[in-house]
Amino acid sequence: MQRCSYPFAAIVGQENVKRALLVALVNPKAGGLLIAGEKGTGKSTLVRSLQPLLRERKIWELPLNASEDMVLGSLDMHYALETGKRRLLPGLMAKAHKQLLYIDEVNLLRRDFLSTLLEAANSGLYRVEREGLSCLQEAACTLLGTMNPEEGVLPVPILDRFGMYVQVSRETNEQARVEIVRRILDYEAEPQAFCQRYTAATEQLTEQLAMAQKLLPSVEVSPAMMLLAAQQCARVHAAGHRAELFLLEASRAIAALAGRSYLLPDDLEEAACYVLPQRLRQEQQEQPPEPQDRDDSGENEESTDQQSDQTPEQQSEPPPVPDATQESVSPDDQNNQNQREEQDNQGAGEENIADIERLFSFLHMELPNFPDRQERSGSGKRSLTRTAERQGRYVRAGFPHGTVTDLAFDATLRAAAPYQRYREHNGCALAIAKEDLRQKIREKRIGSTFLFVVDASGSMGARERMRAVKGAVCAMLQDAYQQRDQVGMIVFRRQSAEVLLPITRSVDLAQKCLRRLPTGGKTPLAEGLTTALRVLAGAKNKDSQSKPVIVLITDGRVNKSMDGKDALDEALKAAGKIRRTGVHSVVIDTEQDFIKMGLARNVAQEMGSSYYRLQELSEHNIMHIVKKVASG
Amino acid sequence: MKNINVYPFTAIVGQEDMKLALILNVINPLLGGVLIKGEKGTAKSTAVRAIADLLPAMEVSKHCPFHCDPKNHNQLCDKCREAVTQKKQLPVQATKMRVVELPVSATEDRVVGTLDIEYAIKHGEKKFDPGILAEANRNILYVDEINLLDDHVVDVLLDAAAMGINTVEREGVSYSHPARFVLVGTMNPEEGDIRPQLLDRFGLSVNVVGENEPEQRVEVIKRRLAYERDSEGFDKEYQLEKEELASRIMTARNLLPQVTIDDELLLLVAKLAIALDVDGHRADITVIKTAMTMAAFDGRTVTDTEDVKQAAKLVLPHRMRRQPFEDGALDWEKVEAVFACQ
Repeated sequence: MQRCSYPFAAIVGQENVKRALLVALVNPKAGGLLIAGEKGTGKSTLVRSLQPLLRERKIWELPLNASEDMVLGSLDMHYALETGKRRLLPGLMAKAHKQLLYIDEVNLLRRDFLSTLLEAANSGLYRVEREGLSCLQEAACTLLGTMNPEEGVLPVPILDRFGMYVQVSRETNEQARVEIVRRILDYEAEPQAFCQRYTAATEQLTEQLAMAQKLLPSVEVSPAMMLLAAQQCARVHAAGHRAELFLLEASRAIAALAGRSYLLPDDLEEAACYVLPQRLRQEQQEQPPEPQDRDDSGENEESTDQQSDQTPEQQSEPPPVPDATQESVSPDDQNNQNQREEQDNQGAGEENIADIERLFSFLHMELPNFPDRQERSGSGKRSLTRTAERQGRYVRAGFPHGTVTDLAFDATLRAAAPYQRYREHNGCALAIAKEDLRQKIREKRIGSTFLFVVDASGSMGARERMRAVKGAVCAMLQDAYQQRDQVGMIVFRRQSAEVLLPITRSVDLAQKCLRRLPTGGKTPLAEGLTTALRVLAGAKNKDSQSKPVIVLITDGRVNKSMDGKDALDEALKAAGKIRRTGVHSVVIDTEQDFIKMGLARNVAQEMGSSYYRLQELSEHNIMHIVKKVASG
Repeated sequence: MKNINVYPFTAIVGQEDMKLALILNVINPLLGGVLIKGEKGTAKSTAVRAIADLLPAMEVSKHCPFHCDPKNHNQLCDKCREAVTQKKQLPVQATKMRVVELPVSATEDRVVGTLDIEYAIKHGEKKFDPGILAEANRNILYVDEINLLDDHVVDVLLDAAAMGINTVEREGVSYSHPARFVLVGTMNPEEGDIRPQLLDRFGLSVNVVGENEPEQRVEVIKRRLAYERDSEGFDKEYQLEKEELASRIMTARNLLPQVTIDDELLLLVAKLAIALDVDGHRADITVIKTAMTMAAFDGRTVTDTEDVKQAAKLVLPHRMRRQPFEDGALDWEKVEAVFACQ
């Protein structure tokens, strides 16, 4: 389908992205480009506007729902019908050989599939071993990807394979924003006329690109430049040697765009802005930090975060109070307001509502991502699973085990095609035998269920401990939100445990509960754990396939039992019960006192949980709570 | 064909925001649809069906599974385009705008389209069998409880909603076709979130609540009962009002290309977007388009400040949430402050 797309030359601002795109177009060896940015910043528009600049090459689009046979190639059905012989019908990768392949929302593509694509694109070749075919395919294509980090970030090994990475941000200049809107209105009113206005600019860019491509083979890299590149990469501790190669190739493209056949240090400097950001390996490993000139935008984002964090509080209580929200839970809480300043020597009978501390910006809950053999269903993103229901994305076809429940027609037809010349047809164009039948293999990401069991006893209220706890839970909720997990929350304090939030997909609600979580009273840990088991059992009845994880947050200072016996003993027994049900759990120990009693650790051992200290979490800032989930 | 099974749009009591949002979207399908948030039983789906019924038939290319617009050459499917380039006259027929429903349980192959199995078996050839997105082209795509939609179906919707094109690379078919629709989604916020990216694709959002005034509630019941007793007679009662509204909408549609907006207002919206710190540029663009559509609906060709203000009310609330857990309420005082500065 041909359309008159928004012209590249008409895009306001985004200079760094435009440059990086031109570099990617001039030199395929620069390793393609990944563009990250918030929604509505024109990422896809930028990529889709490139087509008119290309004379011979085409930009192929890979939709997220593409099945493997369409991308990697499949048996040529028509040829097989006519000749009875097998031949490969090239897939999208082969079609995009020496051209460009664009993946929108690339962070939502299946990871294993994406890494196959990246590997093929970088090496220029891949092996097809499917449907009775075996051959090598050429697929040296330049990959262009766009993503919105809000939906989850890509792991480092995948980021590494993209040659270049740039971030788009929204325009903050008023006049520029006006210009953007003006142009879009004009474009939508009369696309053809609008495009014509930019014909000259488009023509000029096309010419520049063509010249640069012609010049590229003669752009030499001097040993001095190689050294400089190596130094630059070493300075940022870039892993592996891909970085230098991508850096030099990108620099060559920049030189070629400038019409030079030699490199200048400035070319390398510019190339470094595109090649190195995702490879910085110091301290922060998770998020690709920005090069210096864009550093301030990152900080801006953080500071706006903090600003906006405060707005909800300000809305709920007009005179801004610096600490603790006072949305009271029960009327008698209001009497306690003036006791806030005495937080430290707080006794067991009082209630308090702590603020949420925003410290844990990189807290991730991570379940290993290997596919799970047990068939499950559900919706969410945490783990990839095969699904037996006729739902989920059809990724490939396979041989059926037993009866066919979900027939893969396309694969079945292809399987039958080579034999058509020899079979009885009975009036049909195709005769299909039982051995041709193929089953659809579907995949679906399912979320996990996280049940937070939070100790809100008086001892937790001391020294702003609750603030830190809320911060940690909040960070985990944030992650749960991205992964579309289910969450629930149980609070134990005073005499009993209370299900504050039944298991739900509304992480939002969980956060609201967290905000007004009061502390005070004794620590009935055993009851908390028993309630957790009961809630999970209930959830299992409804949805037997989500993998639940209990996150217990406590200082372990148990002092309230259910039946008046030894409280700690009772808690350990309940913990043992949880281990026996095979539910995975994490214990976050909030004990901060000088003399540590290590009670939470005992509970963790008994429960077979991973154990973390809250302090560690806040100290390292980046923390992966890894749960080993046995496969099968 | 007269469809008496549709409750008349003008007989719906109250819910002015929702009605306005729907009207604006049918005047200008480029606004990007509307998300209706609210509890059950608040006439959401009734209103959506009613608005489609209200409009006169539109011209579509005959036999085209995508109902291409013969007049808009920039958005034709491959077949219609081929016919046009060969200077053939596209056969035209008149069809009413339809409400195409996307049930939450829909599978991906039904949504994007799939291999035509019957054709493949009979003729030994692959052919594309269009899905819901094809049907929805130039129509209203209605997704009830859109927040419960499966992730992989949402992925598909996102792309089609933004680009107006559905690209299929699956089950042996490689195909793309126009899929430009007015996306109308409903959700009950209590039942879980909607992905921020999908949220951003909605041009407008409205909150609906049941009427609180006893008289209004009685009126709702009265009309409903009257409708159920004699739908034909009831429809006739509202015929005049319906025709009036329809003609107002059609006038607005014709007027829309002539509506102008001056740079001061554009600047005002830019300031507003910066002050509210919204993501990206979709908010500015949609506020302005909505304001212009409002002016057209009002029969004017010049957009004024009031249009922008009203538009901001419909466009901004669902874009306020930058972090997952912010309440995401629109701080109207901030908006007023920006307007006051002008």
